Amino acid sequence: MRLLTHNYLQSTVKGTEKGYPLKIEATTIEYEESPFDAEFVRSLIPKIDYSTVLIGIQQISDKLEESNNIQGITIPDLPESIENEDLQEDLLKKLHTVLFDIHVVEGDLVCPDTGRRFNIKKGIPNMILHADEI
Amino acid sequence: MTNNTDMEHHSEISHNRYNVLIEFAHIHLEFQRPELESVLSLHDIAIGRDCIEVPLPSSIPTVENYRPFLILSFDYHYAKEKFNLDDDGYVIQSDMSRFSKIDRTKPTIASVLSRCTLIRSAIELWGAGPSFDSCVEHARQLSSGCAGRITLENCMKLSSSWKITIHTLGTKFNREEQNDMRMKFAFFNLPGKVQMVNPTNEFLLIREVELDPKGTPLSQERDNFLSPPLAVYYGRVLGGIRDWRGNGRLDQFSLKKRSYLGPTSMDAELSLIMTNLGLVRNGSFCFDPFVGTGSILLTCGLRGGYCVGTDIDIRVLRGRSDEENVLSNFKQFRLNRPDLIRSDNALYHRHYRMNKPIYDVIVTDPPYGIRAGARKSGTKEEKIRAIPEDRRHDHIAQTKVYPVSDVMGDLLDVSARTLVMGGRLVYIIPSMRDFDVEKDLPNHECLEIAHVCYQPLQTELGRRVVVMKKVKEYDPSLRESYLSSVWINGPESAEKCANIRERLLEAAKLKPGYEEKAAYRKKRRQITREEKKKQRAKHV
Repeated sequence: MRLLTHNYLQSTVKGTEKGYPLKIEATTIEYEESPFDAEFVRSLIPKIDYSTVLIGIQQISDKLEESNNIQGITIPDLPESIENEDLQEDLLKKLHTVLFDIHVVEGDLVCPDTGRRFNIKKGIPNMILHADEI
Repeated sequence: MTNNTDMEHHSEISHNRYNVLIEFAHIHLEFQRPELESVLSLHDIAIGRDCIEVPLPSSIPTVENYRPFLILSFDYHYAKEKFNLDDDGYVIQSDMSRFSKIDRTKPTIASVLSRCTLIRSAIELWGAGPSFDSCVEHARQLSSGCAGRITLENCMKLSSSWKITIHTLGTKFNREEQNDMRMKFAFFNLPGKVQMVNPTNEFLLIREVELDPKGTPLSQERDNFLSPPLAVYYGRVLGGIRDWRGNGRLDQFSLKKRSYLGPTSMDAELSLIMTNLGLVRNGSFCFDPFVGTGSILLTCGLRGGYCVGTDIDIRVLRGRSDEENVLSNFKQFRLNRPDLIRSDNALYHRHYRMNKPIYDVIVTDPPYGIRAGARKSGTKEEKIRAIPEDRRHDHIAQTKVYPVSDVMGDLLDVSARTLVMGGRLVYIIPSMRDFDVEKDLPNHECLEIAHVCYQPLQTELGRRVVVMKKVKEYDPSLRESYLSSVWINGPESAEKCANIRERLLEAAKLKPGYEEKAAYRKKRRQITREEKKKQRAKHV
């Protein structure tokens, strides 16, 4: 699961007040570089929730620190806001790395409201709701 | 800059314009023009606006049968601006590049057209007519037009090697006859030597005959004079090779070799066509809500798209093993992994927070109960029991049958909601021949039908590929209203597709020999079962 996907996932289990963003509790994180396309990243900016990106990357960073970051993944520094930022290629590259190249392969997504866990296995989050949650 | 006063003796194909003859393969007939139009639109070219379609010359006043040719005529200056007309040698680009910077250099016509799965080749048309002699005559006039003159001059400048290939369908000419035909074009006096193996320029002399619906020549006459041609064309081959099928570009043969295939895997050729109809290009954000084994999504990836796939069935998503799953297919073709999510398309708006539309293309083969049944979250039971917390992870949530009418309604609604303006939805719907395209297809206020193409599979059953465009912004508060107006003729239209398995069975039962075939199949199944038992006994 990439952070771009995480940006859109929410929990709307019956009775949940605010199920977004989901907290990332990763157990396995991988890094896979992908070709950079500035135009593509630029086109994504209006479509994502930037604060969620920051929260997500923080949660992943924390986990990497905990496990001593054996793979040596470097998480780029992102600014607090990109509203008035000049979208230079440098920044776009960092955003690209954060959105596309970091994968949560195993772990859970946890609802901030109810604590309901959505499991991630082999990179695939399971969002299926049970009959009583719909 | 057309000079309308120019006299063209035998055809309306003006040498003041740059003319291209396209040869199609004789399959997927209904898909050919939509695919061509879609691929041209990727380069902002529209037939009618940027080029015109010229009628084919014909020795018969009305031809009933399909002709696998099309002539596009460009204003010369437009063509020169838009394309690299030099096109020497093998220049078909493989669109295996992904997320690469947009190539700002001018493409060749061959590289544009070769993306069409159904185009066999294209030639720069030097002469055409309803007969051999009229074609030669027309070719003689080439330099009388401004475009033709420049084309010929350019050819004369390079002393490249060349040859003439004769492409005659259904008729055989001996070597002497063929050389006679070649000599008729000797008046061009091209410099450079004739080279039969790998010349720089290949000229093609095509003798078109009328074909029957299956693509075989109508006339079985052996004597060539008794079966005159429908038309004759002469021109320079674009892209360096005469037949593009399977040559250096994305082709279905390599796709067939992918490691993970399932019973519902889309045949590779159709997924190539669908991704063209969807206008998938480098950097397209592509989505398949019923991703299954990922065959369509893979093609999106090969065309440079960023891929997201969802499915309710975890077994298909995970595949058979670590080496045989959706991800391994992408890895096999050296593409970045797609994002896969296990979710229910019926509850898309519940799983995903969509404040802004994000997808450029949604391309999918929805479940219709023919090969894989459709399911959605929920239970058949009256009383819904809560699952104890400690069992939630491993619990396979119950699913219930998802009627086809809802599958389609949800698909259209999710597409209307998540596609960017102008974005395309391409989906497959199995249908019998007796299907009212006007009334039986699902509708959505925000989407407009761009193409419907029928592919016959059996006598009564076929597939329709429907292409829709988003033309209106989606209003979430109107969701119920959108969903209730999906079917003009009511959900019974959807059932026309859903019950195809039963209808096929009924149609088959009426055919002679059905009983024997059924008995034979039963016996084979028994044999297979017994073999499997033996295999299992061995391993125990």
